[in-house]
Amino acid sequence: MALIVLTIIFASRSEFFLSERNMTTILRNSVDLSVICAGMTIVIILGGIDVSVGGILAVVAVLIGRAYQMEAPDWLVIIVGLSAGAALGAINGTIITKTRVPPIVATLGTMYIFMAILFLVIGGVWISGLPNTLSFLVIGSFLGLPVGLYVIGVIYLVSWLLLRLTPWGQRVVAIGCDEGSARLVGIPVDRTKIQAYALLGIFAGIAAVLYVARMRNVEVNIGTNIAMEAIAATILGGANIRGGKGSLIGALMGVLFIKMTQNGLVLIGVSSLWETVVIGGLLVIVLILDAFETRRTA
Amino acid sequence: MKDPLTQRLYFLFGLLVAACILGSLLSPYFLQVSTLGYLLQYVPILGLLGLAQMLVMLSGGPGIDLSIGAIMSLVALAVAGLFGIGTPLLLACLIGVGLGGLLGAVNAMLVCVLKIPSLMATLATFFAYSGLALALTGGSPIGGIPNWFGQLAQGRFLGVPLHMWTVFVPIAVLLHVMLSQTRTGTHIYAAGNDERAAFLSGVRVWRLRFALYCFGGALAGVAAILTVSWFQAARPDAGKGMELLSVTVAVLGGTHIFGGIGRVMGTVLAVLIVTTLQVALQLANIAQAWQLAAIGMLLIGSVVADNAVNARLRAMARRVPA
Repeated sequence: MALIVLTIIFASRSEFFLSERNMTTILRNSVDLSVICAGMTIVIILGGIDVSVGGILAVVAVLIGRAYQMEAPDWLVIIVGLSAGAALGAINGTIITKTRVPPIVATLGTMYIFMAILFLVIGGVWISGLPNTLSFLVIGSFLGLPVGLYVIGVIYLVSWLLLRLTPWGQRVVAIGCDEGSARLVGIPVDRTKIQAYALLGIFAGIAAVLYVARMRNVEVNIGTNIAMEAIAATILGGANIRGGKGSLIGALMGVLFIKMTQNGLVLIGVSSLWETVVIGGLLVIVLILDAFETRRTA
Repeated sequence: MKDPLTQRLYFLFGLLVAACILGSLLSPYFLQVSTLGYLLQYVPILGLLGLAQMLVMLSGGPGIDLSIGAIMSLVALAVAGLFGIGTPLLLACLIGVGLGGLLGAVNAMLVCVLKIPSLMATLATFFAYSGLALALTGGSPIGGIPNWFGQLAQGRFLGVPLHMWTVFVPIAVLLHVMLSQTRTGTHIYAAGNDERAAFLSGVRVWRLRFALYCFGGALAGVAAILTVSWFQAARPDAGKGMELLSVTVAVLGGTHIFGGIGRVMGTVLAVLIVTTLQVALQLANIAQAWQLAAIGMLLIGSVVADNAVNARLRAMARRVPA
């Protein structure tokens, strides 16, 4: 609904907004965020949160960059990226479950550590001039539609199947609704949590591959905002921060909403500095509406 | 057996000594008198934010304020901006503290009246405030603060920065007295320990939390004034990263993330530890990367240690015959 209103507002202000080329641009820019959001939705449904995804993305991107510089083939790079992402995600999950540190604090801590790794590996210099062999994943098109769309489609289909049609997905929802009860009925809570965080790590790894494919360089401040954006998009999409409830499609809408806002503001000539204000304001409004909703139903 | 909270203070003190030893090993410049002044220069700003964060956490809920750094940036801009259009500086400072309280009140509205989880609500206002700070200025700092005002944060008395003497120490002492000696302090701990029991014994829990968010905002406003005095300019990104650092400091200082436990002294020691580490690594010319890693590990490590202490507390409680 809000998405349509937004489209009309921007379209009426700039004829360029609805052009095919601009739509493709928006899509291209939202591929990495969309992929991360799928994982973030699952973690939030589980009742957790991960503010370190930007750090995971950064570390994986830097590893990929280094791997390319050592002239590793594409398939090896992808394997390295995904397994590194899974490992970092699993570290988050393990810290959260084994030490009982609240997820926000634990991932805050690992965010610092991941950023440290990034700085150590990258040493303040950009890694640039990376090969464009994987660029087709983002900018290519297949059957008249951008390949990025297929990537998003596959990720969301897999996530949806996992979440809604497998016992694992039901466990995730059960833990998010009531962790104590879930433990009592014999659900392996800790293992499921670690798996969910690892899955988010893998998605962050995929996002890193896509990022490198798109930008063909790795810079120092990579991934600084993406965690906040991913959480915002997931919440905008109707997930409940207390866990138990969330929607993958909603999250995807949230991503499009954020990216269209960013793109549209630039097109109608508002300084891009205002975009965080708009996203923050929208988030506040959605939260307030949500609060009234809860109050009415309760 | 000793009180675990006091043990925590000994532990923090030991950590501080360790940080100092590390510092002197890393750099020959560390053990000079001038280092002390340099080190204390950083303390009041992070200290005020850490104390604000501690207060918000203490009253439970669970409470957290991720927008605190952004409030600081916005207030700094407001103070410098007001001065720029001819407002007397002292009046501008007063308005700044008020604005901090007001921005805190917005958080309080969302969290305490609408009952939105504090993490989400303040994440949203973090976006809004920090975005506003950047957008209103186009990213450039506002300067033109007179030299005499710079004295507040740049001047020294007995080698210790003036704003330690005049702002930070008095506020810390006042807060300590408030938490340990007054009824309000008892109410804050009660609300954090057991919200329901506190409510049933007549503590207006949510009103108390509302007030603490406002107060935290006002403290961030004071911190903002210190940054303005220090840089003689207001930077729109002055508070960047401060929200996470303030959480780190509060938690490292022994504040329980779900409320009810925490002391001013612990937070102050934690600020000293973090600052000592930062300065030591800086003097030794060690990359920022290690500073980040050190803070991250301290954060996680302190919560793990905290949980261990709590587990021991519970075990002790169980041993007491009913």
